[in-house]
Amino acid sequence: MNTASTNTPVTMLEVEGVSVRFGGLQALSEVGFDIRQGEILGLIGPNGAGKSTLLNVISGFVRPDRGSVHFDGELLTGRPPESVNRAGLVRTFQAAEVLAGMTVVENVMAAGVARLGEGVAGGLARFVRAGQSMAALYRMACDKLDLVGLAALANQPAQMLTAGQQRLLAAARALGTEARLLILDEPAAGLTNDEKMMLAAAIRRIRASGVTVMFVEHDLAFVSSLAERLVVLDHGTVIAKGETRKVSRDPQVLAAYLGETDLVVARGRGGVSATAAPLLKLERAVVRYGALQALGGIDLEVRAGEIVTLIGANGAGKSSTLKAISGLCKLSAGAITFDGKPLHGLAAERRIAAGIALAPEGRQLFPMLTVRDNLMIGRFSHIRAAGFGNLFRPGAAAAREVEAAMREVLDFFPRLAERIDQQAGTLSGGEGQMVAIGRALMSRPKLLMLDEPSFGLAPRVTREILELLPRLAERGIAVLLVEQNAHAALQVADRGYVLANGAIVAHGSGEELLQSSHVGEAYLGWQHEDEGTEVAA
Amino acid sequence: MSQSAMKKQALSRFLILAAVLALAAFSNNPYVINLLVVCGLYALPAIGLSLLMGYTGQISLGQSAFVGVGAYGSVLLAQHLQLDPWYSLALATALSAFTAWSLGWLVFRLKGHHLAMATLAIALILHTVLVEWRSVTGGPDGISAIDPISIAGYALLDDLHFLPLAWLVCYAGLCLADYLVRSPFGLAMRTVSENEAVARSLGIDAAQVKRKVMALSGAYAGLGGALYAHWIGYISPEPFSVAFSIKLLLIVALGGVSGVWNVLFGVFIVVIVSEWLKPLGRLDVVIYGLLLIVVMIYCRQGAVAALAGLYRKLPQRLRPGARAGLKLQGRTSA
Repeated sequence: MNTASTNTPVTMLEVEGVSVRFGGLQALSEVGFDIRQGEILGLIGPNGAGKSTLLNVISGFVRPDRGSVHFDGELLTGRPPESVNRAGLVRTFQAAEVLAGMTVVENVMAAGVARLGEGVAGGLARFVRAGQSMAALYRMACDKLDLVGLAALANQPAQMLTAGQQRLLAAARALGTEARLLILDEPAAGLTNDEKMMLAAAIRRIRASGVTVMFVEHDLAFVSSLAERLVVLDHGTVIAKGETRKVSRDPQVLAAYLGETDLVVARGRGGVSATAAPLLKLERAVVRYGALQALGGIDLEVRAGEIVTLIGANGAGKSSTLKAISGLCKLSAGAITFDGKPLHGLAAERRIAAGIALAPEGRQLFPMLTVRDNLMIGRFSHIRAAGFGNLFRPGAAAAREVEAAMREVLDFFPRLAERIDQQAGTLSGGEGQMVAIGRALMSRPKLLMLDEPSFGLAPRVTREILELLPRLAERGIAVLLVEQNAHAALQVADRGYVLANGAIVAHGSGEELLQSSHVGEAYLGWQHEDEGTEVAA
Repeated sequence: MSQSAMKKQALSRFLILAAVLALAAFSNNPYVINLLVVCGLYALPAIGLSLLMGYTGQISLGQSAFVGVGAYGSVLLAQHLQLDPWYSLALATALSAFTAWSLGWLVFRLKGHHLAMATLAIALILHTVLVEWRSVTGGPDGISAIDPISIAGYALLDDLHFLPLAWLVCYAGLCLADYLVRSPFGLAMRTVSENEAVARSLGIDAAQVKRKVMALSGAYAGLGGALYAHWIGYISPEPFSVAFSIKLLLIVALGGVSGVWNVLFGVFIVVIVSEWLKPLGRLDVVIYGLLLIVVMIYCRQGAVAALAGLYRKLPQRLRPGARAGLKLQGRTSA
């Protein structure tokens, strides 16, 4: 295979004991691993595991509290990003971040400027030294574009590129700095299968040209086809590292992705009639962001009093589904009906008044406001709907409704009643999530949507939050739950949908999906080479 | 664009400019000549701001302050050290560049609206200093009896004689700025403008690039201010108020970022509009503000690009020479 595995491996990058803390969150603790010269290394882990933080530490954007990063024996910790880059290490960004105002070739040329070391004076004096440096940059850039297969598009505006081409451009641009180690942040996210194959081929060519590659990725099929070794992060610690084949069979890795929280759900199943008319109905819903297709025509139903969960890997289209329903992004095709009426053309704030509430990912509280004020904001659209004057001083009717809603929420979350005048920023993660759900409930919704309520929470707190959901369902509220912790979500849900690459690949009752051994594979998409050969035999 | 094509373009621009100026000079209309001098002097700080705002993406409402530093700096140096205006001109330009560079350390901790507010504060503070520091600046009355610039013992006293100097400096400034944005450093500027994190990941020291461009922009402003002072012979704080910063902002917005030379388009429009607005007195700022809003909403790429876009939409037969349209569209790389 590759030369690195036959010779003694030479350590190129060494990460030792790196710890980073953001406020109350331990993003990384004692992370250590190495990258060997000439290899392709994959860094994986569920959402919030600390992968992006680790990348930011290595590339100099975040300074670790403890620990060190050495590159070719040189200490990188504490150096600013531009200096790290000049040491010979380059990273890309999640959304490719092409420079849209430039042409494709200019994007790559920009990467060579720093190494050239010509400043303002060099630029001003260019009429003396007839533009050789620009010509040299142009030649270098064309070489790099050739390597990733974009040479034919060199003089096109960068914003005309498709999502897949933008990732290739980001890689070519990174190579333009002549770095010896290329770190790609989620290069395949949101790409089609064909685009992923082109990307994988480009990455192999880049390695063959003598550059070591490390990449962060959620699509584990892509990872296992490309990486020789893996490092797995979960909750800020390395839970596994080694050869891809071994790591991908590690039960701990699977558990990290699917979650292993067991819930006690005190609720009679089958309380919802399967024939009842759906409260929410999505028909062939399509969502596109520019060149990216996030949802490829999905059908989904939620009935009153039902808990439905939507699970799938990162970038599968879960959040896009919620955004489409709440009106934060537009459908490119298809239809959504709510309570018998089409939602098309209804602005997001009107949808809240219609009975749809979202507790967004990452909670999105106002940290400087009190718990009470945060909750009140959830009632805003109703107060506004009662008349403009109510914004200054709610009328009697509006005020009564606010009070009733507030009482309901505080009955439901007695912990919040105790902390009602505390600033939201001082709450613990679990309490913060309660405020986020409470804020959504303030509008007395018929449909409550929760985006990753367990994000960043300890298993015990996750359990506490998720076990509350059946009580909401008993009140007749329909719950649509997007959750990374699929294991826990399926236990609490009546029904579940499994999303992959913007399409629904499995659908059934919570128990069915929980028992089905296929879900894990469909969800994670591991590809084992030996399984392929078994089928062939 | 190839090197020879660039040289040809520079030459043709020089000839067109020279022809326009010669025509104005022969018309012997003092009003037109006066306006053209004003245009040339407005253009210098506008070029600087175009580099900073248009190409490096850093908004500044403080450009008028650096024009003020250049003007007062040159006059005070000339009067107190008995310097020849040529030397005080050069020193004031350097002083203005240094001031801008130093302030860059402070203000570039900020971004977006905060940067706009901090630079606005610079303009306000400088204006207040010019008004209040009577012993040095003469307060609201300003300084008069400023020595004119002389060439070979011949003082450039009237507009007609000053016109070639103003535009020669302006032409040189435009050429240098044009070379700069097409150079590797220009690429770094545009990268910083679009995405600082990407720039840093590519080894470009974004903070340093911003400070350097700020200093250069200050130099352009200072030179413009110093030339203005020695041309008009009398300075007061009024022309260096925030209103002037807003005019410069409008000039840059009208010109857009598809070429340094488009600054001239913005300058001509704003100077002509200023003449129309003279009867309004100080209320003219309201009109500039409205114009700025309109340009920002409807022609984000600048009025030149917007006009070029309209032109391309015309049916082929209505275009006098479609090749010229293609030239407008072509943005150069190497």
